Amino acid sequence: MTDGIDKAREEFFSEAQELVESLSRNLLALDASLKRGTLDPSLVNEAFRAVHTLKGLAGLFGAKRVGALSHRLEDVLDGLRLGRLALTVEVLDLLFRAVEIYSAALAAERSKSDDPLPHLDDIIGEFGRIGSTAPAQKNTLARFELDAAMLAVLTEYEEHRLRTSVEQGLLLYRVRVDFDLATIDKALEDIKARAKVHGEVITYLPTGSATSTDTIELDLLLASSSTEEELRDSLSGERVSVAAIPVRSPASQPKATAPPERDGASRPPPLPSLVPRRGDVVSERAPIMEPPAEQAAALRAVAQTVRVDIRKLDALMNVVGELAIVKNTLGRLAERIRAEGHRQLGSELHSVQRSFDRRLGELQGGILEVRMVPLGQVFDRLARVVRQIGREMDKDIRLVITGAETEIDKLIVEELSDPLMHVVRNAIDHGIEHADERRRVGKPVAGTIALNAFQKGNHAVIEVEDDGRGIDERAILRRAVALGKVGPDDIGQLARNEILNLVFLPGLSTREEASDYSGRGVGMDVVKTNISKLGGVIDLHSETDIGTKLTITLPVTLAIVSALLVRVAGRVFAMPLTSVAEAISLNEAEIRTLDGREVTTLRGVTLPVCRLAKIFGLAPLPGSAPHRRGYIVVASLGSRRLGFAVDDLHGQQDIVIKALGKSLSRVRGFSGATELGDQRVALVLDPAALIEEMFSGEVVRERRLSHG
Amino acid sequence: MADAMRAPASLAERRAPAESLGPREFLSFRLDADTYAVALAGIREIVSPPPVTEVPRAPPDIIGICSVRGLLVTVIDLRRRLRLPEAPPSRLSRILLANTEPGEVVGLFVDEVRQVVRLGASELELTANVLGGDLADHVLGVGRPDGDFVVLLDLNRIVGT
Repeated sequence: MTDGIDKAREEFFSEAQELVESLSRNLLALDASLKRGTLDPSLVNEAFRAVHTLKGLAGLFGAKRVGALSHRLEDVLDGLRLGRLALTVEVLDLLFRAVEIYSAALAAERSKSDDPLPHLDDIIGEFGRIGSTAPAQKNTLARFELDAAMLAVLTEYEEHRLRTSVEQGLLLYRVRVDFDLATIDKALEDIKARAKVHGEVITYLPTGSATSTDTIELDLLLASSSTEEELRDSLSGERVSVAAIPVRSPASQPKATAPPERDGASRPPPLPSLVPRRGDVVSERAPIMEPPAEQAAALRAVAQTVRVDIRKLDALMNVVGELAIVKNTLGRLAERIRAEGHRQLGSELHSVQRSFDRRLGELQGGILEVRMVPLGQVFDRLARVVRQIGREMDKDIRLVITGAETEIDKLIVEELSDPLMHVVRNAIDHGIEHADERRRVGKPVAGTIALNAFQKGNHAVIEVEDDGRGIDERAILRRAVALGKVGPDDIGQLARNEILNLVFLPGLSTREEASDYSGRGVGMDVVKTNISKLGGVIDLHSETDIGTKLTITLPVTLAIVSALLVRVAGRVFAMPLTSVAEAISLNEAEIRTLDGREVTTLRGVTLPVCRLAKIFGLAPLPGSAPHRRGYIVVASLGSRRLGFAVDDLHGQQDIVIKALGKSLSRVRGFSGATELGDQRVALVLDPAALIEEMFSGEVVRERRLSHG
Repeated sequence: MADAMRAPASLAERRAPAESLGPREFLSFRLDADTYAVALAGIREIVSPPPVTEVPRAPPDIIGICSVRGLLVTVIDLRRRLRLPEAPPSRLSRILLANTEPGEVVGLFVDEVRQVVRLGASELELTANVLGGDLADHVLGVGRPDGDFVVLLDLNRIVGT
């Protein structure tokens, strides 16, 4: 029985992954703050803490390589936060590389592989070389009348922060607060949040004296540029008092006495007073500021989060699906009972069924909500890639992200990472020009890549936009002709967007030489395939010298969808409603054949028509009544529309899509199957794949054949 | 014959290598006029065929998909797989649900389920080329329980492709 251990290991990996992601976020923020020329010390400290925790976890789970890396990284980050090491772009590069290596090392540990990780040894060596050279410390603290007992208990980090604050010319204050023991956690966060507005809380220590046994008195050491009056006005209250820590007169400065070195982990029990009580004036009354609520909420949220294996949610979703079938059966029973003359009983059953339906809807919504994660998760990873590639290709890239909070199914997010990565790499490599070229055409030297996400109905839209040189249509055409994807005679007949869409054909790359990042044009067709698998479509817009915009439209969730049931040659198929725009009557007289394809006209616009019975090769079932009139179900995905000709519409139903087995994985056009109740199974159409099939390069080839 | 018969997975069967001396259990069934059998441990359940939905564009020997208590099953037509003449299903037809790796449940459509046979080492001929031709791929050997003749099929080959 290794289940327990495996489970714990799995949790370790997901927690480690989260820590690495938070480290990555902190590094990105550091990068940004470095560019602005300011440095937020709390970012370095948070990064340090993440690595510290990771080291502990790695030790616990015997992940030696993760542990070794964490150990070195911790040293470097510790050097940074204590000011022993200057944060330079090179150090940051190394830290970003460490994030990448973490992922590889975690993957290796997870698969229990012992393969050597050469990069790991490299980076550990480089971290060693950075070393840590301690800058000479001036005894700046002596200016203030700080209690030696207090100095003695500061951690090395706190002491460093104190020293830095003093060097920056900030004033030191003692904020004394009397807390109720019962509410101290919240109250302490409140006062810290309020004090933070004015400066940095270096430390807080209990004073050891309290007004009663139910309270505790703390001294907060605050470094701030505000005056004592300002602080009093904003912080003081019934149980809060503010006092400046007096500056010594030069004559009374003691000889330099460096505080003893110590381990930051332990803190001795309550101490005597932080500073002498001299000059201590408590203001009578001060306005009580509302503490920032989100800070307190964030603290609570940490304790109330559970990690759930997504497969468990899948299992729950399956149960919901089966309950939906029960619901439908109940509905039919109610109808039958009513039809058999038991009106009262039928109505009662019907109302039971309705309330069951409502609750089931809530349950379903709840589970779906749990599965949703913000797209920011992927965007963070992309930000890292942008920075790395930009630097290595010597292009200055500004990444602008909007809509990171847009939520999408966890499984989709996982699958999105690789395709998006590739698109972004392409944008940097092929799209954004080098600095001198940008200068020449009058663009800002820094190229911009915008990642925009937003929700649009049941879909999430992700745009990747660059302000580069745009896609070279002639180059694409040349390659397409060279590869035999387009006949030489067809060149003149391809519309602009048809040409752009050629980049999604396998083997097409507009660059003669391949680069390390974008590869040899194996990319965009794979990107397209991966997005199609998620039920999404890609649209590409590009303007020469202005830029390229790639738009990905995806369903928000894959688990449960509303579907339109249609009948084709006696068989029932389900079509996800998310892609259905409308259904119209089929008028055979209005169907024309255009270039080998059937089309009809919808409100003045040409609509290609796909006869499902024909493309699936379905003959009418024996004994099934011939249909009187058909319908066209208009599917619309991204900017494309296609009309599916069906015999009949069969109502609407919520369905759970189950994947087809391995032996059917090569069958195109279906995203899965679903149970309709009474044991019948219906195939779920995949409009994205079918539209793709109708509009893909095959059409170009067919056309070439029909011309030749 | 019960509509649904649970075939208990035999631990001994799972552990025993092909060469072991103990008797091995097979589930025998009829296809066309002959008797075939597969390792009993490989079958999780026998069901009467529920309505099967055909899958357009699927390989020809896949009849379609059906649902068994919420489980999606891919149904293979063993007659077609073994190049036997076609025949309409009868009331004796059954689907054998095979134990496969997670991700797919495969059902084998057979004409009639016969019985569980225990074959000792002396009754087993584990050579694939006893029968030549198209079948060789799928055949594990032949068994001769009490003078009968049973073609032993390789479940992994049938399910795997």
